[in-house]
Amino acid sequence: MRKSKFFKVFTGLAISTMLLAACNSKDAGSSTDGEKGKKDARDIDVVFIPKMTGNAFFESGNDGAQEMAKKIGFRVKYDGAPEGTVANQVQIINSAVNSGADAIAISSVSSDGLNQALQKALDAGIKVVTWDSDVDPKYRSAYINQGTPDILGAMLVDMAAGQLENPNEPQQVAWFYSSPTVPDQNSWVDYAEKYIAEKYPNWEIVTKQFGEGNEQVSLQKGESILHTYPDIDVIICPDSTALPAMAQAAQNKGLNKEDVVITGFASPNSMRQYLENGTIENHGLWDVKDQGALAVYIAYHLAQGNELKVGGTVDVPELGEVKVEPNTVQGYDYEAEDSGIIVLPERIVFTKENTNDYDF
Amino acid sequence: MLKKIPKWNVVLLTTLLAEIIIFGLINPRFWNINILLNSFNDFVGIAIIAFFVTFVIITGGIDISGGSIIGLTSVVTGLLAQVYGLNIWVAALLAVLVGGLCGLLNGILIAYSKVQAMVITLGGMLLYSGIALVLVGFSGASTYEGISGFSQEFINLANGNLLGIPHSVIVFVVMLLIAYVLLHWTRYGRYIYLTGINQNSAEYSGINTRKIITSTYVLSGLSAGIAGIILTSYLGSSRADFGAEYLMPILTAVVLGGTLITGGKGGVVGTALASIIIGFLKLGLQMGGVQTQYIGLATGMLLIISVAFMGGQKFKLNVRRLLNLKKDRGGNLNA
Repeated sequence: MRKSKFFKVFTGLAISTMLLAACNSKDAGSSTDGEKGKKDARDIDVVFIPKMTGNAFFESGNDGAQEMAKKIGFRVKYDGAPEGTVANQVQIINSAVNSGADAIAISSVSSDGLNQALQKALDAGIKVVTWDSDVDPKYRSAYINQGTPDILGAMLVDMAAGQLENPNEPQQVAWFYSSPTVPDQNSWVDYAEKYIAEKYPNWEIVTKQFGEGNEQVSLQKGESILHTYPDIDVIICPDSTALPAMAQAAQNKGLNKEDVVITGFASPNSMRQYLENGTIENHGLWDVKDQGALAVYIAYHLAQGNELKVGGTVDVPELGEVKVEPNTVQGYDYEAEDSGIIVLPERIVFTKENTNDYDF
Repeated sequence: MLKKIPKWNVVLLTTLLAEIIIFGLINPRFWNINILLNSFNDFVGIAIIAFFVTFVIITGGIDISGGSIIGLTSVVTGLLAQVYGLNIWVAALLAVLVGGLCGLLNGILIAYSKVQAMVITLGGMLLYSGIALVLVGFSGASTYEGISGFSQEFINLANGNLLGIPHSVIVFVVMLLIAYVLLHWTRYGRYIYLTGINQNSAEYSGINTRKIITSTYVLSGLSAGIAGIILTSYLGSSRADFGAEYLMPILTAVVLGGTLITGGKGGVVGTALASIIIGFLKLGLQMGGVQTQYIGLATGMLLIISVAFMGGQKFKLNVRRLLNLKKDRGGNLNA
């Protein structure tokens, strides 16, 4: 009895799937035909994918993306999961492919975990743009870069050196960021160390600490830096979790910008209190709203059927003309005509004076 | 008593068909069979574990360690294959066995120490994900990045397809058949039900209930191991945090599938249908333009409504009374 019921359900399922299959082969065919030729702005769907939702940095990126979409008239769907895991991002990419999006703009949580999913998206004719955090350049057309390693590395060192009375004298310097293998932050630090060796040969790197992108761990590591190296002069934190944690650790210990120089990259909203109470003098970041806007615009531009040529330029409303640079500026070996990097035109140093002009 | 479950399966099947029709009307691309079949990739791991967690729950236990066993087996595979240079298939097999061992540990502790299953598997969950993190450290990779660089053959395990049918669908069907045969066609399956209905009377009638209970956790661990391998192949890297978000979806699939959380009643067909329903619900809502972060809301509502209908006899009675009341009034008005 039960056996037969099982098979009834089973065959029922099988038949219904076949029916569905039969009635749909036509639809699939016609929709691919429609993708050729230039599309109207209103018909273009871009899916804008953050590492995770609920983080101020990515929400601000989305604000910029939505403003751009409204201005030009295309559609942007902001789609992320509260937990920034590879499986979640893959699922979101898949559903973007399935629902017939024209382009995706993604900040990747992993440098290689998305490869399969992105390949499927490319096979389906979807344009892939990355922003903030890149993937293997083979799997995307453009990376909207906040700055190349040499720009950002030098910026970190200059922000610190500018606060020192005698930057040419010996100084004890510590690095504090998320992890020893995270690609972007390590590339900045690598360049910054070269820059230090050239420009400030007397500086001594005493330690590198990693907060794993976790607020609590970062606070503990920050406190341990201050305990272990009481004579530390400069702590540079190019990580949006490490920097506020470091500033908090210094504040907890009653230190301010006169005692130890703390600087790095984090969003102004997370650092405003430390600028205002004198714990730190300055910190930097790029305008993430511009980054989001640029990412979706380039995605839209590609989805319209335009080609992106390395060495060429793209005229972006509001942001002006941006240049497409070869992948080598970021240190990649992979080079192709249609795969390049667009570097954001400017980065911002936040101080007590200008921090209130920004909201992200 | 068991007769009620197939009826629930019909409800589930209807829900599934309704889902397919409704989402198809919203976005006709949903009716593309390839899209539907490929979406199995995104929930096959949940479904495989849910099949065997169904066994555990029928015996009256619960297993919440499945998600972290995924992470552990993923890391073990990566470590053995990429760092110690073992053949990838041997590594995968060993990793599945590690999953089984985790299940064995859970099972022995639960069956022989009589501590509540929830407590033991909660400990197991934390323990196994902790071990996974430590093991990633051995590989020299950070927990951020995981271990990658698997061969294309292994990647194809989850990403390939056979005669146009994605491997994930095949894995789903094979695991379902294994679970179905074990649970519904063998003596072992009947012992599982009897243990769940009343452990003492099962024990008195000569069933070694402790062994039965232990074995269900081993099966659940093995299935989590298999899910871990599939996920590692699907995502092309091994990371300790794989499966971390699977706990609730697994339990949702089992409970929505009609298995009584207190044990003694249930089946894997329901679990299979429920996991497809949940998977398609997510896909359909995303394709309908709903943001991923709000989809939990829909799944939650589906679960609460269905469980209220299914489990609460009182609830059912009240609803019936309410309906009858209306009918009576209608009747009176007509008269």
